[in-house]
Amino acid sequence: MILTGLEIKKQVEIKRIKISPFNSNNLSTNSYDLHLDSMLIRYTSEILDPRYPPSYEEFTIPETGFVMQKGDFFLGCSKEVIGSDYYVPLIHARSGIARLGLFVHVTADLIDIGSHGQTTFQLYATLPVILYPNVSIAQVSFWVPEGEIELYDGKYQRSKGPIISKVHQDWTDHNDR
Amino acid sequence: MILSGKAISLAREANDIIIEPYNKSQINPNSYNYRLGENIKIYTGFSDGIPIFEDYVIPSEGFVLLPGQMYLGHTYEKLGSKKYAMSLIGRSSIGRLGLFMQLSANLGHTTSIHCWTLEMFAAKPIRIYPKMIIGQISFWTNCGEVSEFISEYIATSLPTESLLKR
Repeated sequence: MILTGLEIKKQVEIKRIKISPFNSNNLSTNSYDLHLDSMLIRYTSEILDPRYPPSYEEFTIPETGFVMQKGDFFLGCSKEVIGSDYYVPLIHARSGIARLGLFVHVTADLIDIGSHGQTTFQLYATLPVILYPNVSIAQVSFWVPEGEIELYDGKYQRSKGPIISKVHQDWTDHNDR
Repeated sequence: MILSGKAISLAREANDIIIEPYNKSQINPNSYNYRLGENIKIYTGFSDGIPIFEDYVIPSEGFVLLPGQMYLGHTYEKLGSKKYAMSLIGRSSIGRLGLFMQLSANLGHTTSIHCWTLEMFAAKPIRIYPKMIIGQISFWTNCGEVSEFISEYIATSLPTESLLKR
């Protein structure tokens, strides 16, 4: 089951969902709108290799906007800190953003229950598109879990700003198979 | 409702979910991490209105996916359920590297049990390895009676091209 917008508001009020800052104007029928923080990350490694930490640079989107070219891939993040120990969040693009050809995640819509932080967006442009700081870019919906809950306590917990892939950290587990 | 990691592991013990081979360290709070199978199909061109793919085996030293190319991979595990619906997605650590694991076709139908074909598309050049943990599957409760889903893809265990009739 998916929570309605009004139920999301209720759950925020009783602190079973955290969205900070929260403004009820950002609620829609089944989700809450998330805004783009001004910090972006661009990978500079020629080939990304999950065994090794990637090289990257950070930059800030100016107030006048930043043009993403077709095929560009950057990491951004939500201005809002979000999370819940009671519901499972899923991330979606806003339809108005998707209609501009912009992906906000790369097949990783599922947020673990118990994960809290600024959510990292995986921005991939299929057309040239201008990003502005604070643009309303994505939505988060909340889903009811079934079964006993073990809360997330992983390597992206309490993320601040966009966070690069840390997949290299668990490569020893990969080899232990 | 989406199953918790605990619920996934209990449903597997009850045979309501199939994950084979299974390793409990791959359970997440709301999903199971699947691995990449070693077979891959590389798109090589278009002939007679049909996309042509070449079969390839990913070597242990890895294989670099190029941006703008389309590849078909598969899950190493046999995954499925006769009781729950599924969503097969990437994992955040791989999405953060710009690798799509499917192209807006995340829904796994109740009763499908097989190695799933992955529609892989890279935003940046990326090296992939056989058996690497690459994506996640979540399980969802159904509302209503379940009918047997007749699919041409059900028996597949290798990456399988589109079987849409021309």
